[in-house]
Amino acid sequence: MKAALARNPILLLTAAALLFYPVVFTDAFYRDIGVTFLLAAISASAWNIVGGYAGQVSVGHAMFFGIGAYAPLLVYTVTGWPPMAGIPVGVILGCALALAIGKPSFRLTGHYFSMATIAVAELIRIFFGTWAFVGAAIGLQGPAVGRGWWDLTFRSEVPYYYIFLAVLVVLLALTWTLERRRFGYYLRATKAGERAARSLGVPVRSTKMQALVLSATFTSIAGSLYSIKTGFIDPESGFGILVSVQMVIIAALGGAGTLFGPFIGALVLIPLQTATNTWFGGGGTGLTYILYGGIIVLIARYEPGGVLDLWTRLTSRGGRDHAS
Amino acid sequence: MTKSYALLAVVVAAALSVAAPALAADAVKIGILWPLTGNAGAAGLASKAAVEVAADIINNTHPEMGDLPLAKSAGLPNMGGAKLELTFVDHQGNPSLAQQLATRLITQDKVNVLMGAYQSSCSFTATAIAERYGVPMMVGDSAAGNITGRGFKWVFRATPIATDYARAYMRFIGDMKKQGKKIDSIAVVNENTDYGTSVAAEVVAEAKKANVSVAIQIPYSASSTDVSAQVLQLKEKNPDVVIFISYTADSILYMKTMKNLNYKPPMVIGDDSGFSDPSFIPAVKDVAQGVMNRSAWVIGKPGSVTYKINEMYKAKTGRDLDDTSARNMQGFFALADALNRAGSTDPEKIRVALTQTDLKPNVLMMGYNGVKFDNTGQNSLAATYLIQLHGDNYVLVWPEDHAEAKLQWPMTGTK
Repeated sequence: MKAALARNPILLLTAAALLFYPVVFTDAFYRDIGVTFLLAAISASAWNIVGGYAGQVSVGHAMFFGIGAYAPLLVYTVTGWPPMAGIPVGVILGCALALAIGKPSFRLTGHYFSMATIAVAELIRIFFGTWAFVGAAIGLQGPAVGRGWWDLTFRSEVPYYYIFLAVLVVLLALTWTLERRRFGYYLRATKAGERAARSLGVPVRSTKMQALVLSATFTSIAGSLYSIKTGFIDPESGFGILVSVQMVIIAALGGAGTLFGPFIGALVLIPLQTATNTWFGGGGTGLTYILYGGIIVLIARYEPGGVLDLWTRLTSRGGRDHAS
Repeated sequence: MTKSYALLAVVVAAALSVAAPALAADAVKIGILWPLTGNAGAAGLASKAAVEVAADIINNTHPEMGDLPLAKSAGLPNMGGAKLELTFVDHQGNPSLAQQLATRLITQDKVNVLMGAYQSSCSFTATAIAERYGVPMMVGDSAAGNITGRGFKWVFRATPIATDYARAYMRFIGDMKKQGKKIDSIAVVNENTDYGTSVAAEVVAEAKKANVSVAIQIPYSASSTDVSAQVLQLKEKNPDVVIFISYTADSILYMKTMKNLNYKPPMVIGDDSGFSDPSFIPAVKDVAQGVMNRSAWVIGKPGSVTYKINEMYKAKTGRDLDDTSARNMQGFFALADALNRAGSTDPEKIRVALTQTDLKPNVLMMGYNGVKFDNTGQNSLAATYLIQLHGDNYVLVWPEDHAEAKLQWPMTGTK
């Protein structure tokens, strides 16, 4: 990774920009957008492992996000421990859920996995909405006022920013490593054609399973980070279909199945979302959605491979021109 | 000599007239968070129009508005006539976005106070930001009990909440019993999201305290397209009063299904929401005759202050004010009153002024017993009326000392 950084000036610049963003932008609102961006990049990158690399399009990843989001606040509500203590609980439950869903649905090919994930996520959302132990429809709250740093209730956005950034770096480094190992080839072979991959000796089902578990782990962590920062979770913001859809959109927008695709997708979408809402949100005209939707349609129509694809095409053409 | 005096006078007058605008106080900025798009967008937009009317009443002279605070003067007199400047943001019902927008209003737009945020989930997160930055926030209309009561210093809520509604129902049932009506048991039917769940929980709890037996509680999904099973359950338990905590389509569906299954309890009480929706009366007017509903807002007789407020609102939107937007409007008036008494945009002074709020019923537009915040920030004098469907309109029937018409019991409906 270090060598890659040195080779690629854009990567180096991005890393520097990420590192110094909260130093340059001292306004809390811009820092908060930074945190939102990182969270979107983490969850989309986590989705990308199974949805992008392995080509198993989950539209119900909110189930892992929601479980991860509920765990810290539930642990806090029940035991009074710092919410942080719930992160591993969320990861364990998320992985268990991944195994439970992957086992039957990975036997089948095609859209069954997508369908199963939507159904399970919706089921959990409805179930949580009526289950009093998890606050039913009203949801759960974190500590109203932080009791110490271990509650992770900071007044400033900066600590959240660096915690989120660290998680994103770990996730991307892990993805980068896996991409270059046998597992990465198995993933791409699975995506390209399961039957062909199997005939070549790729353990398709266990590859898909491992990808899903890994993806669930990081999506759950993203959920935990979200609820610890927000200090509140309810069924809609944890398990809502929009939570899942946003992960898919961001990854697809940037370029699914590539290391930096989800990152770039979040880089485009989150500022766009914020800007349209800031400029047009107060009138209640819904112009935000129209603009937001319009740009997504444009990209999907003219650049289905995502922004990263567009970038590669532009730079490689530039390179050729330069060479000739 | 006189000539030069005259000249001096002219110069002074000119200087004053130039200086006057510079002396006028800076505007007081109020940041308001509501859902302006999405599922609850209609409620947010109605409330937005309502506080715009309220801001007009405060910023300009409206002597016709009687005792309403700050109506007679232009702007806030204690702040040199400072005007209220409103900034609206759309949180789309997303708690995380509400948090981000509250941060933006405080740090970027530098608002002096906050107001919002309709959905309880968004009020939870936005009030936490207000508390974090030490900016006063007025919650105009969010019912979840623990929005206040988290030990926050900067959060105030003018509206009655689920406990107040539940108490009102129980007092009403108590009054009816005193009049000799037979009420042995009640049933609670609630939609199963946060609104229905929280109100139903309070109704059941208050019923227990009031020694009223709850024959059955039926939670259901507001998107149901068939509620005959639920109605059959009610029919079997045969309660004397059924309290519905429902949204629009489902409340209409219940009324129609009850008629189809030939079931009519002695009394139905609707908890505002669906029963107050403009489409409710035209859809089920006949079967719902005599249905009770909750509202702290009553348009009042022509010539009354509330009637004039409604006329202003109607001129702007083409519709009557409803209970939700009127409660937000009342919260806004209470906030403006505190800002004026604070006489400064210093957050701590505004906070102290809010804690000292003491509005009597005669200066309110709503049927509260007053506005006075307890040490959790909740309005301890919040209350609600009960209205009843007579013909094409709801009329105020309870409490008796405010009643416009005589209560009908049992409900007539058509069986």
